[in-house]
Amino acid sequence: MSSTVTPPTPSVAGTGPAPVPTTVPPAGRVGGARSALYRYGVGSLAIVVSVVVFLVPFAFILLTAAMDATQASEFRFAWPRNFQLWDNVVQVLQTRDYILVIAFINSVVLTLVSVTALVVLGSMVAFVLQRRVSRWTGLINFLVLTGLIMPPAIVPTIWVLQRFGLFATMPGLILVEIAFGLSFTILLFRAFISTIPKELDEAAVLDGAGPLRLFFRVVLPLLRPVMVTVILVQSVAVFNDFQNPLYFLPGDAGATVQLTLFNFQSQNLSSYNLLFTDILLITIPMLLLYLFFNRQIVAGLTSGAVKG
Amino acid sequence: MALRPTRSWTLKGLAVLALAPLALTACSAGSLGSSDAGNSAGGTTITWLTGTDEAAQATAKAVVAAFEDANPDITVKLDARPAGADGDNLVKTRLQTGTMPDVFDYNSGSLFQQIAPANNLAPLTGDASVGAVQEAFTPQVSVGKDVYGVPYGTAFGGGVMYNRAVFDKLGLQVPKTWADFMAASATIKAAGIAPVIQTYQDTWTSQLFVLGDFHNVAAADPQWAENYTANKAKYAGDPNAVKGFQHLQDVHDAGYENADFASIKLEDGMRQLADGTGAMYPILSANVSTLQSIAPDKLGDIGFFALPGDDAATNGLTAWYPNAVYVPKTTTGAKLDAAKKLLGFIASPAGCDALTSASAPTGPYLVDGCELPADVPQVTKDVQAYFDADAQSPALEFLSPVKGPNLEQITVEIGSGIRPAADGAALYDQDVEKQAQQLGLEGW
Repeated sequence: MSSTVTPPTPSVAGTGPAPVPTTVPPAGRVGGARSALYRYGVGSLAIVVSVVVFLVPFAFILLTAAMDATQASEFRFAWPRNFQLWDNVVQVLQTRDYILVIAFINSVVLTLVSVTALVVLGSMVAFVLQRRVSRWTGLINFLVLTGLIMPPAIVPTIWVLQRFGLFATMPGLILVEIAFGLSFTILLFRAFISTIPKELDEAAVLDGAGPLRLFFRVVLPLLRPVMVTVILVQSVAVFNDFQNPLYFLPGDAGATVQLTLFNFQSQNLSSYNLLFTDILLITIPMLLLYLFFNRQIVAGLTSGAVKG
Repeated sequence: MALRPTRSWTLKGLAVLALAPLALTACSAGSLGSSDAGNSAGGTTITWLTGTDEAAQATAKAVVAAFEDANPDITVKLDARPAGADGDNLVKTRLQTGTMPDVFDYNSGSLFQQIAPANNLAPLTGDASVGAVQEAFTPQVSVGKDVYGVPYGTAFGGGVMYNRAVFDKLGLQVPKTWADFMAASATIKAAGIAPVIQTYQDTWTSQLFVLGDFHNVAAADPQWAENYTANKAKYAGDPNAVKGFQHLQDVHDAGYENADFASIKLEDGMRQLADGTGAMYPILSANVSTLQSIAPDKLGDIGFFALPGDDAATNGLTAWYPNAVYVPKTTTGAKLDAAKKLLGFIASPAGCDALTSASAPTGPYLVDGCELPADVPQVTKDVQAYFDADAQSPALEFLSPVKGPNLEQITVEIGSGIRPAADGAALYDQDVEKQAQQLGLEGW
């Protein structure tokens, strides 16, 4: 019987920051009671929508994570009868010899290394592609787009990794994540670099800067806004990735956090309280990332604005 | 303008970000686990890929502990894979790329056929490890004359769990024919209890009326499965095969389903059955484990019977066989010997005892010499009775690789009164066509 329990999507939170309720003044109408009503109406509507879309699911996770197994299996939005969030956290951590701790280390290493490499490589490639047009540019652009279009094939990729001795190793998985994320990163950086005036480069070159100095001293600092975007988007993608770690880094030593979700669900019996506690724990790093980078986004945007 | 410090912050930050994790990778993450507790006494170490969920891990651990006691020179490490479609893909991928661990457990029957056993698995024909496996099971793990696996776990049935307290109170007997079933339902409904529980939030539970009816189809037409695989028999228009679909529609038309059938899950259905707001729940007998976790005090109240057909004389159970443990071809030498020893242990009374100690069995073990303990749930006893009386036959999925992916959606439609039974059967026949063509079966 092909009865499978579909996992609740692991990436519940961390898929985007709660949209800041924008209070857009209606065009061509300034002041007046109607415009105030309109403004606050739209504002509160946005708040209500973001609460429903983002906070309600989160509250559901939190409440279920605090329930006992019997109540959690009812799968209802209710106040926990026995509040045992801490017990659940301890139990989840202890599952299978603290595999969640190992998974967290693996996921953090994977995310940090691959996102760093993506940012460095992506911005460099984008800079060269954007500024030095040659007869190869068209072909390279095509290859970058191919990376977006072509679906990744698992078995041939494993063959390649096996030949290089990288299969089932962390460096191998990091390379896979870089390969799958690079196209998108290059496109983002390219679009942004095209808005940086060429005169800046020329001025730097006239002042005697070589290509490396030009890139690292002049261009890279200007890329901060888009860099924040890339870091956020790719961190979430890599951290929440399920399929690549499953196939390319098998074995308990290489478990990543998303794989631990399957410790708590099976066909006949799912421990929803533990599953949701696990989801809660996994969500926290991405949540922190957003809180931390929120300021960076604003700072990056304003510094970009001054230079424009 | 604080541009200069910002710039150097960026560069330094990048450098630290790039280098620190590399240092971390060096001390490989797996070394943190306590599972690697330096157990290298010079013996053989083999790895067993099993499910990652709590139950699968606990079961495998119990077996491994007992096995290592009996074979001190062999160490068995556990590796984990997720359940469901992802797990299926993982097994196929790892077999295909030659990276499968030394031993793994996987479905028997038609799913076993799909992992290309002759190419990927080590044959065990004539080996001591398969000596105690019962003949009822052997066909499920064989290709041609070669046997590839040993049963891991217990067989179970597809049928109806019923509340015996409700049946006693209303003076009802276990129905042996479909007419009895409908008559009993009428009595139960008159008493203000939902006769048939359906739980369409878990769509797979809707298939039981069709899949669990196969014993009756096979009883009426023993060649049906063969003809079905060869594209000579169809559900639609076949007077025997279509009955499963028809029964589902009958139950809905008569208003015998619980009121909230469309929106509740398996767990809710079990709760209704346990507290007596519903009387009969067509489900797999293995789901007694769900019942155990939800209403442990009501286990004695819940019994099990096979879905009845037209003829009381051929009444019997549609049986599902346990998963099996296999050895891939890539396991060789000392590891192969150790793997075979592990398989032999699993298919022995000692192995069954280890399994029993991990989780209450939900049906017979299909291994010679294995007995069920006396305190198993009533549901399991009822299933065992069908096996003892030999009133059981394999479910269709063990006889034919043809199974469409959309059966559960179709049966939800029929059970909800959206689509008539005959129509649904015809639609399912179309559904399996693509899958049969993909498998490259003859006659499609």
